[in-house]
Amino acid sequence: MLRYIAKRMVFAIPTLFAVSIVAFIIIQLPPGDYLTTLMADWASQGGAVEAGTVAAMRDRYGLDQPIYFQYYKWIAGILTRGDFGISFDFGKPVTELIWNRLGFSLLLSVLTLCFVWAIAIPIGILSAVRQYSISDYTATFLAFFFLAVPDFLMALSAMYIMSAWFGQSVGGLFSAEYVDVSWSLGKLIDFAQHVWLPVVVIGLGSLAALVRIMRANLLDELSKPYVTTARAKGMSEFELLLRYPVRLALNPLISTIGWILPAVISGEIIVSVVMSLPTTGPLLLRSLLAQDMYLAGSLILLISVLTIIGTLISDILLAITDPRIRLQ
Amino acid sequence: MRYQQKLLGVVASTGLLSIMLLGPFAPAWAADYKQAPILDEQVKAGKLPAVANRLPEKPYVETMVDGVGKYGGTLRTTILANGDQYNLTRTIANELLVRWDPQWKKVMPSLAEEFKASDDATTYTFKLRKGLKWSDGQPFTADDIMFWYEDVFMNNALSPAKNPTFTVAGKPVKVTKIDDLTVEFKFETPYGLFLQQLAYGQGHLPVIYPKHYLKQFHEKYNKEGIPALLKANPAAGDWVALFNSKVSLSFQPPFWQNLELPTLNPWVLTVPYADSERVAATRNPYYWKIDTAGNQLPYIDNVTWAKLDDPQVMALKMTSGEFDFAFRHINNSTFKSVLFDGQKTGNYRIVDVKDLPASDAAILLNLTSTDPVKRKIFQNKDFRIALSHAINRQEIIDLVYVGQGAPAQVAAQPEHELFNERQAKQYTEFDPKRSNEILDKIMPKKDAEGFRLDETGKRFTINFMVADVFGLSYPDIMQMVQQYAKDVGIDIQIRTTDRARLNTMWAANEQDAYIWNCVGGLSDAYTDVRCYMPFQKADIFFAVRWAEWYANHNTGEEPPANIKELMAAYDKVNAAVTDDDRRERTKEFLNLSADNFLNIGISRPMPKYMMVSNNLKNVVNGLPIAGNLWHPAPTLTQWYFDKSTK
Repeated sequence: MLRYIAKRMVFAIPTLFAVSIVAFIIIQLPPGDYLTTLMADWASQGGAVEAGTVAAMRDRYGLDQPIYFQYYKWIAGILTRGDFGISFDFGKPVTELIWNRLGFSLLLSVLTLCFVWAIAIPIGILSAVRQYSISDYTATFLAFFFLAVPDFLMALSAMYIMSAWFGQSVGGLFSAEYVDVSWSLGKLIDFAQHVWLPVVVIGLGSLAALVRIMRANLLDELSKPYVTTARAKGMSEFELLLRYPVRLALNPLISTIGWILPAVISGEIIVSVVMSLPTTGPLLLRSLLAQDMYLAGSLILLISVLTIIGTLISDILLAITDPRIRLQ
Repeated sequence: MRYQQKLLGVVASTGLLSIMLLGPFAPAWAADYKQAPILDEQVKAGKLPAVANRLPEKPYVETMVDGVGKYGGTLRTTILANGDQYNLTRTIANELLVRWDPQWKKVMPSLAEEFKASDDATTYTFKLRKGLKWSDGQPFTADDIMFWYEDVFMNNALSPAKNPTFTVAGKPVKVTKIDDLTVEFKFETPYGLFLQQLAYGQGHLPVIYPKHYLKQFHEKYNKEGIPALLKANPAAGDWVALFNSKVSLSFQPPFWQNLELPTLNPWVLTVPYADSERVAATRNPYYWKIDTAGNQLPYIDNVTWAKLDDPQVMALKMTSGEFDFAFRHINNSTFKSVLFDGQKTGNYRIVDVKDLPASDAAILLNLTSTDPVKRKIFQNKDFRIALSHAINRQEIIDLVYVGQGAPAQVAAQPEHELFNERQAKQYTEFDPKRSNEILDKIMPKKDAEGFRLDETGKRFTINFMVADVFGLSYPDIMQMVQQYAKDVGIDIQIRTTDRARLNTMWAANEQDAYIWNCVGGLSDAYTDVRCYMPFQKADIFFAVRWAEWYANHNTGEEPPANIKELMAAYDKVNAAVTDDDRRERTKEFLNLSADNFLNIGISRPMPKYMMVSNNLKNVVNGLPIAGNLWHPAPTLTQWYFDKSTK
């Protein structure tokens, strides 16, 4: 078991390296650099653009150096000092900007995951047990409907409905009066009042896949002889269902953690921009648009780490629940 | 009595507003100065000096629209969560040596209570108000301006290139301190537009560098202490980076990140831009303006900005009454109907803002293209006239701008003193027949598909760069222009791109043509002539080689005689000293520009708008603004909440 985990972790390291290189190259692919964006910004504000100033800044930021040298400087800083470089756009070290946001991103992802599982598993069971019934069709229809609606549209509509019909303050994770105060019971309640909307919006999009997986898995199990045997022995239908086939059907669901975590995080980016959440999403979008490369590169790297950790967790969970995987 | 005379001078110079002011006017003496109630306790506790000691000897007296206001309240507004620091600048930071009057007609005293221009338009003397103080209570004097000049502007490490506002013909200004309150700006050659330039937002440079605070970060004053400071600031590699991280030219993010930086602004930052989900500022107890009854301004205690990532949410929150004021990002035609309908639920009203450039959409052919065939055709005025007649402007305005616009060339607005009817109207009639007649003379041969051939026998194709910027729907407009051009046999190929890529193309002179908006619709037609002649400035590059030549005769390419004549006409504008002379020279210059017909305008802009709470008073309707004339900072100190109106 330990050997298995160690092996998976060793595999994760080259993946991370590859991701960091690809991320860094992709950020640099568009023409121009951060200073091009800065010049455009100045221009649109009626400011003067002096070529000399821009050249001096380019020199200062090291933007005129070859890309492999910039990458080396960045990655060496991370590995040796935990220094992710400077965000040009904010004039601050990247580490000061991202940890807080990364925390909210992770919290949002975990809450969403819990929400999706709590909804998807019962609906999946219901659809499998009452296959081709009205409830099966309704659940399937709704799940596919939410899969088909783009999440930014869902976010906008949900916000409009909550604001216009229920008079709730939308956007962000806190009301204005709680933004700058430290945590308290009031702030926690306020947070709960705000956080459910993005959780539902992000969660509904990935609901369909999980419902369908649960349903298909369970259908496979329901027709197996051990179910018939248990039923013949007079076991109650509900107990039978939860004790045997559902447990088996959950197995493949565990392996979905690996891909649902990145899906939630990337879905979160768009929804966060639309709903103005203090997560990494909006920061990543802006840093990419501004070609603020150390900030963007660090964010992509950290999100990739999260994804790889997610995959690792699902591998380990699978190994724990399924001895066949351990043996391979 | 000196104060009273000064006040009358200010009143007289503000034109229309003075009529409203004269009624309730009563002289306020030092002892009568009043302050915001939230400051009372601090004064009682001895933490703040009394209001009379915080104000300068002769405070600036702000003119009012609805009369004297009431203290208190928090102005809730909004800002994009990233890259929108100019929004803060435009809302609360617009303190300058001299300022434009609210009607954008005349340059008036501001931090400088008096200013004088020499008869040859080379020397400018500014006398500061006595007793001005930074937001930390330290005096603001000529030494602060000299610190900017000697240690920032003339320091090659901090300012590798000199700001064009303070240079003329490539030579930087010479600033001399006459006494503690008087400085002299001297240029080598006439620079009659200097006062106008200085009165725009970007003219703030001399007054944003508090010497007593910033000298600790400057090599010249604190060589020994800097290594220790660098250690505490891991983001800064050397003293230049350290200095730039404490204050920044052009209001880059560090300016809105540093809570310690003393300013002369009406509100000082309490929650910086990058840290939280909102930005907040509170009143500067040392602000140097009063109202006509001797109340220290501003009226409003605090300003908060909710950081949002999406303009849609801004509009939603405005209509649900979560903001008292909103302007940028949602004041375009996309949101107008939603915001109009939401006035009741949001308890706000819509106020006109005259943000009127010279054109919302102008076609800029590259007159100095590297392709000799295209260059020859683009430089042919008749070709530009033909293309202009081929465009059905009214149809574009009706379909793309839902009727918000008027067919016009690039020209000053009809309401402005520089309006030239011929310049605005010439060649705007939709007349494909006429267009074809002209083109038949230039490129008579056509290929099988009906497209015209150039002199080498190849199809004449314009590769048109189109970026979707400013919410002005350029891709939609160009689809229509492409069709109109096809109808007269001109092949336009649309290349969609983004602003950053366009920027690199301009710099390399690679584009055939592109579409953009044009500044210079109101008084900025004096100083910002980039659309009226080849002129080196951002965003407008229709003849970049000639513009380079104009800036420095050793670079670029020497333009033809007619363009040189146009440039000489603008030199005369710059040499003019009196307002009347300058106006006449500029009219001559614009007339000459109309003769040359350098670029093709499509639509004249209509006023924009802002949303303000129904509780807010002293808000000027129809205020003229521009990219470099900021808003609402110049008038925001006089806004106040009147809770009695619902």
